[in-house]
Amino acid sequence: MNKPKYFYKSEEYFKIFEFVSEGSKGRIKKMVQFTQTGTENVYNLAFGDYDDVTNSINDLSVTNNGDSLKVLATVASTIYAFIEKHPNTWIFATGSTNVRTRLYRMGITNNLVDIKEDFEVYGFTQFGIWEEFVVGEDYEAFLITKKQNIQ
Amino acid sequence: MTIGKLNSSKVPVIVIDKKLEQFRDKVLFPEKLEKANEILSKVGLPMRKK
Repeated sequence: MNKPKYFYKSEEYFKIFEFVSEGSKGRIKKMVQFTQTGTENVYNLAFGDYDDVTNSINDLSVTNNGDSLKVLATVASTIYAFIEKHPNTWIFATGSTNVRTRLYRMGITNNLVDIKEDFEVYGFTQFGIWEEFVVGEDYEAFLITKKQNIQ
Repeated sequence: MTIGKLNSSKVPVIVIDKKLEQFRDKVLFPEKLEKANEILSKVGLPMRKK
């Protein structure tokens, strides 16, 4: 995972991350959060633009800062950091729109060889089941966990 | 951690910012969490490999 990424900060439990996207639209603060779901050891991954003025998050905005691959690589890096701290967890992720979910799929596809060195990745199909991630298949959501958690 | 382990680690060196603690107990993306819980409550996790 040596793709360009942004420097980021976190708090001691690595459940919240903050970084700044820099591009044609200027500096945009981004937040990544891992939130405990109702299923034991499963955390939801989400990220979006943080507005300092309103103190709110927007995960629907299309920033168009020209750095989507770098943003995705940064978010992917936070997954490594979070799982390093919480190795028994599963990470659930889906986009707030279908377009964003496809962006996540693209990010996984582009890094699949690296990801599969340490993790298993699953996609949630239109038929309502989990399957091991297949390049080119359309998924509604994703799960990732360390290989040790499924053996 | 040794320099060798730092260099080979896939996790970068991360700066801890105490200001981020204010978000620790807040759900910043409630709709996303709700969607996650909806899927997980219906389907659960993938079957483990045998």
